[in-house]
Amino acid sequence: MLWRLRFGVMWVSDFIDFIRSNLDVAAVATYQHLYLSFGSVLLGMLIAVPLGIWLSDKERLAEKVLAVTGTIQTVPGLAFLGLFLPLLGLGVVPSMTVLFLYSLLPILTNTYTGIRGVNPAVVEAGIGMGMSPRQLLFMVKLPLAFPVIIAGIRIASVYIVSWATLAAFVGGGGLGDPILTGIMTADINFILMGAIPAALLALAAGWILGMVERLATPRGLRG
Amino acid sequence: MVKFKNVVKAYENHVAVKNLNLEIPEGELVVLIGPSGCGKTTTLKMVNRLIEPTSGSIFIRDRNVKDLNPVALRREIGYVIQQIGLFPNMTIEQNIDVVPRLLGWPAEKRKRRVYELLEMVGMDPEIYAHRYPNELSGGQQQRIGVLRALAAEPPLILMDEPFGALDPIARESLQDELKNLHSRLNITTIFVTHDMDEALKLADRVVVMNQGEVVQVATPETLLRNPANDFVASFIGKNRLNGDSLQSVVEIMLPDPVTVHPQMGLAEGLALMKRKKVDTVLVVDEQRRLLGSVAVETLDREHKRARTIGEIMNQDPPLTTIRSQASAKEAFDLIIGEKLKYLPVLDENDVLVGLVTRNSMVSALASAVWGDVGE
Amino acid sequence: MGDILALTVEHLMLSAAGVGLALVVGIPLAILITRYRTLAGFTMAVTDVLQTIPSMALLAALMIYLGLGNQTLVVTLMIYSLLPIVRNTYTGITGIDKGLIEAGKGMGMTRWQLLRMVQIPVALPVIMAGIRVAMVTAIGIATLGVLIGGGGLGAPIWRGMQIVDSSMILSGAIPAALIAILCEFGLAKLEKAVTPRGMKASSPAKS
Repeated sequence: MLWRLRFGVMWVSDFIDFIRSNLDVAAVATYQHLYLSFGSVLLGMLIAVPLGIWLSDKERLAEKVLAVTGTIQTVPGLAFLGLFLPLLGLGVVPSMTVLFLYSLLPILTNTYTGIRGVNPAVVEAGIGMGMSPRQLLFMVKLPLAFPVIIAGIRIASVYIVSWATLAAFVGGGGLGDPILTGIMTADINFILMGAIPAALLALAAGWILGMVERLATPRGLRG
Repeated sequence: MVKFKNVVKAYENHVAVKNLNLEIPEGELVVLIGPSGCGKTTTLKMVNRLIEPTSGSIFIRDRNVKDLNPVALRREIGYVIQQIGLFPNMTIEQNIDVVPRLLGWPAEKRKRRVYELLEMVGMDPEIYAHRYPNELSGGQQQRIGVLRALAAEPPLILMDEPFGALDPIARESLQDELKNLHSRLNITTIFVTHDMDEALKLADRVVVMNQGEVVQVATPETLLRNPANDFVASFIGKNRLNGDSLQSVVEIMLPDPVTVHPQMGLAEGLALMKRKKVDTVLVVDEQRRLLGSVAVETLDREHKRARTIGEIMNQDPPLTTIRSQASAKEAFDLIIGEKLKYLPVLDENDVLVGLVTRNSMVSALASAVWGDVGE
Repeated sequence: MGDILALTVEHLMLSAAGVGLALVVGIPLAILITRYRTLAGFTMAVTDVLQTIPSMALLAALMIYLGLGNQTLVVTLMIYSLLPIVRNTYTGITGIDKGLIEAGKGMGMTRWQLLRMVQIPVALPVIMAGIRVAMVTAIGIATLGVLIGGGGLGAPIWRGMQIVDSSMILSGAIPAALIAILCEFGLAKLEKAVTPRGMKASSPAKS
């Protein structure tokens, strides 16, 4: 084995001292982490939401697209980074690409099922009253599907924040950096310096988007 | 106002509407009625082009609907459906003024119109305008559904079994209201239903349809006095049994008995019987051909040995059955004579069409003697 | 080539070991919390939070207590597999039609018989879906095992990244991606196979 390790007992006060003296490192890593996660989820939204809407009346094509994104989802993160390395090299670009691909499935699935889940009677009423397809989409389907779409974005965000630690493997930065350093140097302080903010960010993302989800639910649909 | 000329709607393996010719004058309330699958809803939906005819033309005020932009066309036709379909994300006010908004009415005029309409049906706008659909009862929701169709003052309204899903009391009061609104506003209305009482109550003229064809067009009065043929007579006569009409076994059976498929699990079967409060279920295949029966005692006895209904059916004595062409008298004789608890009714292909029980016999008799005493 | 095959097998074994342990712990736990509903919310919350911890971090933290090697990897995999397994078993069992349970009780089934003859068979497709998700997740996380001295396909990927050797990276990445995809498809097939015939789409039971 490469590393011989020995651990003593860790003291909370030691950890606080450690963070205090490495605050700048932690801040940079957190900033990079947010940047990576937000960027890739945002990119995922920009692609998956319109795609999901577009697919909502093309059932057979949609099944194929969802199968492909589902397959993408199963590829292990490290393997994915490895597959892209020859193409995209190291750094932020391959990291974001992989994270973006992972964010597609939950957003796409939820947009698609959300739009298709709109009560057909309501859709028929809209068409029968003379709404154009665009008006039907913006006045009826999207507002009704909105909470489901936001839920997809929430699920994607929570996962992406957690997986963004993998960027450290290809020099993409983020909170994976201190964790990796911690593993190499067998220093629990570094590991926790990455792990705690990463977990907190994931929880916060879930919590905030959960709030948005509730706010986005039209009053007439709330229990 | 509306004219159907040689209208045909054919699907791959059946013809929904066969060569329909019909003229509806301005201001009339016409009810299309017939059994399910007779083409009445298809006919209705061809008017606002939710369904396109295979051949023939439909004219509204001498304009062929085919030449009109469907979206623009629909905005000048009110539309009410059975499932109501209010937009749950919009308030009552927003629901009612959807079409005026689509047509670009100024806000002031829209609001006036919404308040006027709500007052017309006795719903206080101050209370209801800002509520959401899920805060209203089913009857109130459909009242809004009707107002929504009236909002842009369309010259024509289409109603597709609008009161079919409501409870009897709400249905009654909405029918009265519609009648009222129609006599005040005189908007041409095409109304689809399968309920003869509703048709007779509302219609200026009734169009009876069967298997894609118009069988009779007449005022309610004429329809009752001179039904064009046996079909119309029997359609009017349903639920209006008199002493000598208990001719066929079909009239004394339950049309929709509890059935299961043989691959159903025993626990599921037992749960179903509990829910439906029956102690015997009939086993049928995918084509609803009768395969056998299972009694609850058998189910209880066998649940350790068997897994599916199929394995334990027909352990009870063989079933006595009767053909649907048989007379009511034959069914009576069998049930009384053989001391049967029930008697499945099969058509010529062994497809289960109903079930005669002692109960169904007695209630058919009762309604024949004392009139309709409720189902 | 032989090396890669051996690594692939090892990778699968490690993942399966983690999921297997999660099954042993998770299924009884899920059954337990269906009986004591107050525990359910708590258990779900805990497993939910565990899930948000980045796998790399949990792996590293556990390494400090359990040392280097496969045992740490397997424990990590077990922890991540718990959520889908517990959640799906729990929702699968609690989602069963109340009438069905009542019918079973009415027939005189004991609680154990009810579980074995009704609840588990009916919930099995949902439980299988949980196992599928757990297995695919485990295969993914197992690639990180190399960091804490574990085996599997992470080693060639990681080493290839260090020395920027594409073919070495791909020799680990491609089989890792393939076994994840194959597991997904295989287990999805199995999921269909264990769905009782009467419960497949367009089930009969019309009355």
